[in-house]
Amino acid sequence: MPSPAERLPLTGADAFLLAFDTLTRRENRASHLSQIVLRLGPGFDAEGFRRALDDVVRANLICAAPIRRRRLGMGLPEYRLDLARRADGPRFHEHTGGERPPRRWGEAAPLPAIFEERINTLQDASRGGLFDVDAVRYADGSTDLALTWQHMLLDGFGSERFVELLADVCAGKRAPDELPAGDRPGAPPPLELPQSQRERGNMAMSWQRWMSELGQKSVRSPAGPERGVRQQLAVDRVQFADEASAAIVARANERAGFLTPMIFYLAAAIRAHAAVLAQRGERPESFVVPLPVNLRPKGVEGAIFRTHVSLLWFQVDAELVDDFEALLAALKEQRRLAIRSGMIEAGVAAMEYARGAPSRLYGQMARRNLKGELCSFFFAYTGEFCPDRESFCGAPFEDGFGVPSVPASPGSALVLALRGGRLGYTHVRQRDAFRPGELELFQEKLHRDLSG
Amino acid sequence: MGSEGNGTWTQERLAELICRILRDDLLACGDDLGPTSKLLDSGLDSLTVTQLMLAVEEETGVWTDESLLTPENLETAETLARCIHEHAQSG
Repeated sequence: MPSPAERLPLTGADAFLLAFDTLTRRENRASHLSQIVLRLGPGFDAEGFRRALDDVVRANLICAAPIRRRRLGMGLPEYRLDLARRADGPRFHEHTGGERPPRRWGEAAPLPAIFEERINTLQDASRGGLFDVDAVRYADGSTDLALTWQHMLLDGFGSERFVELLADVCAGKRAPDELPAGDRPGAPPPLELPQSQRERGNMAMSWQRWMSELGQKSVRSPAGPERGVRQQLAVDRVQFADEASAAIVARANERAGFLTPMIFYLAAAIRAHAAVLAQRGERPESFVVPLPVNLRPKGVEGAIFRTHVSLLWFQVDAELVDDFEALLAALKEQRRLAIRSGMIEAGVAAMEYARGAPSRLYGQMARRNLKGELCSFFFAYTGEFCPDRESFCGAPFEDGFGVPSVPASPGSALVLALRGGRLGYTHVRQRDAFRPGELELFQEKLHRDLSG
Repeated sequence: MGSEGNGTWTQERLAELICRILRDDLLACGDDLGPTSKLLDSGLDSLTVTQLMLAVEEETGVWTDESLLTPENLETAETLARCIHEHAQSG
């Protein structure tokens, strides 16, 4: 019988992602993974990186711990650290990439095929070995590096801190087990819920009511309702040049606020998706999009491992989409009202309650509510990627970005971030979610709204 | 802008209010945060800035739209107080 110290419970958000994993495994024959891609100049020290990775994984058993439920698979899900020693560690694969494709600012470029293959893999979280790392080495000495993991192990914030931990360990600047207080045993949760069961229950119910209300208007994603097809994600990466980035960022800051530009980017993302649906002759009554919110305490170094997020949901009527300013105002107001009415905290309470529920329940409830859809698309804005980090394991750190998995329905996820002040976005999509010509329309509309 | 107890909201009192909300409720910054502390260095981010504006609205009745919050306005509690005060006066 493992001791409590050898078990690490999943957070509510982890369990939410585990539910996505269960859904994706059952219906799309893939796992709900996440990936970070680093584009590095010449000089990458592959052996140094391999040693750093091994050291970090050996020092932090969660990296290789299976996720199991107690009591014949019916209890709360938890990382079994005691079994990590016997599980597979991370797998580091090196590939030869030939000539590196030239970088074209503002134009979509695919990732190396092996990266896309990796994010479509079927991984079994209950067996441990949650990481794969792929390095594509090019003829000019540069490298593209992808870290792919079970999404619940690291969220957007945590994955960047994990990259920094690897870089520091590789450079001999940090011990592999030197983690922030939030990762240490017995660390309090990032957000303390009320002690009273009744109060927590009421919070969870208010979130559930909010979710139910989303179903009162029709929603349509690019891929349409769940079809039980095999997940085949493709990824487009776009990075804007310095001048274009500066103009877009200034416009976003001016319209939505210096610290809250994500609302501007979300408005542009909704309109780009709406343009695609409109071309098909589809006009859903509304667009529904979840926005992850980082819960880590502000002003202290946040936890690396496990996901510490809540979700804010936005729902805008279709007629608002034609007017950018009206859309922006509606999104701002919805965010303000949701924060004021405690929906971030309520989301945490709801996800905590649902940890014990069978994973498939989440997906079933969401799909029933939205008539087979989960939402219109996934969206995130993560700010500056690894700010102040100029090199990684001996190589100049040219670009870095997250590649989140998205279920075959809604089939589209858009993530924006900055790197070195340059704005970039990653569009992850189910291969058949966009018909011929629609991707071009999507990008054209998105770029036009971003640039003004 | 509404009055507070026995007086109206001056820029100085707004700055004190901002510091108190950040110290007590939003940031893990201890007692060090004062009217001239750098807010971004103290951990102010997209969520906490909105929570701060909501808390200020609750106390003063004034909502300051995030689009008014430039890097200059968000530099310190003092600069933010000036922005909110000017916004309230113009509104």
